[in-house]
Amino acid sequence: MNMHSADATTAEEALAIQETIDSDMATEIAMQDTLLTPRFYTTDFDELDAIDVSHIRDEWDPLIDRMVSDPNKGHFKKNADWDEVDWDGMDPQLKKEFIDFLISSCTAEFSGCVLYKEMKRRGSNEEITQLFQLMARDEARHAGFINDALREAGVAVNLGFLTQKKKYTYFRPKFIYYATYLSEKIGYARYITIFRHLEQNPQYRFHPIFKWFEEWCNDEFAHGEAFALLMKSDPKLTRGVNVLWIKFFLTAVYATMYIRDHQRPAFHEALGVDTDWYAHEVFTKTSKLSEQIFPITLDIDNPRWEAGLKRLQKANVDLADAKKQGRKVAQLGASIRAGLAFVSLFTIPSKKHAVPAKTRLEPAY
Amino acid sequence: MGFFTRTKEHTPCTVEISHKFESLHAHVRFNNGAVIHPGDEVQVQGPEIMAPFGEIVTEERDAIILRASTIERLWTKATGDLEVMELCEFSFSEEVTL
Repeated sequence: MNMHSADATTAEEALAIQETIDSDMATEIAMQDTLLTPRFYTTDFDELDAIDVSHIRDEWDPLIDRMVSDPNKGHFKKNADWDEVDWDGMDPQLKKEFIDFLISSCTAEFSGCVLYKEMKRRGSNEEITQLFQLMARDEARHAGFINDALREAGVAVNLGFLTQKKKYTYFRPKFIYYATYLSEKIGYARYITIFRHLEQNPQYRFHPIFKWFEEWCNDEFAHGEAFALLMKSDPKLTRGVNVLWIKFFLTAVYATMYIRDHQRPAFHEALGVDTDWYAHEVFTKTSKLSEQIFPITLDIDNPRWEAGLKRLQKANVDLADAKKQGRKVAQLGASIRAGLAFVSLFTIPSKKHAVPAKTRLEPAY
Repeated sequence: MGFFTRTKEHTPCTVEISHKFESLHAHVRFNNGAVIHPGDEVQVQGPEIMAPFGEIVTEERDAIILRASTIERLWTKATGDLEVMELCEFSFSEEVTL
């Protein structure tokens, strides 16, 4: 156990230990402190334990074997490719948006790690707990890597949240599958699109972390594969009324991504990426990938799609303005417009297709 | 646990916080095998636990589990799904402007 101020028996001792730590990390004193605030969840652990992968073993075992062999071990290390970042010379707005990107990504990886670890710990089905343990490992590794980039930027993450009161909410397993599967696959599509764009246009690479996007997103891809197989283990999850849930998640995830990206113009401009082009590119890739398990895809080329996203984005901006100014009627109006825009997106007829017998894919973009 | 009332439990726990380059994580394990249910609240007692960069800190602490009442548990199970989009990662915070 490390010497730590909390181990001290007297206040004086605690201060002395803290001083030693502080002088050891003199550079951290001036750091901006950011408290990570992951959320905590429970789910139906009996349902997870009941998952049977025996009829998909030909696809399950190779995936787990690959994850156990850990091809990305040692990849997330800084090497000569990690060039100096000119933080002081960076445009202030870009710096704000980029740090928002790093903190949000670090929190997401960290929360993923907490969720997967909880599923690992509470389950008793060894095949499922092994999978979640492997995914928790990857997420913690990514979080550590992003944390290091944050430290360079003068931002220290604070892991002191455990001593704050935290409430556990509940998600049904199938919602965890839909949301997490899409999140991992869209994450892959987002990172690989930026990585390939910067390969072609290296002058826009304003931070070395983008060089690590390829291996990073390969982990996301593998996690998505695991969730695809979990859904395949129970065909009911992708049939009947659940197809409507799938459509809901596809619409919600795509729309949220569109809104958030359009709120960070300096980030995308610095990368030389047009946000409309980027959104369409990421939706196209994610739709193609999700055909492996979902029986529908969204019709993103329907003229109502782009128009609906623009209305939703506008309503969201208006809502934030109205909230800031305390205009209740305007808030209500913007909320209604946002709701209608979402309904309009959700009611665009989806494209149906036959799901292939073999689910597993390899990253190919 | 009552239908309308919450109950409080004390349980010893092991906290592990890793602030290393290789792994950034923080976990709490209840030493007596206590299990958390929807709507329960957990608070690790004592001062904030801070791991300096590059280190893993493991501590034995006491945790208080505030057990949700039956009605709260049912409510959390029924409504928790509404927040499920939190599980998705979007690279950026929801703030409209920074």
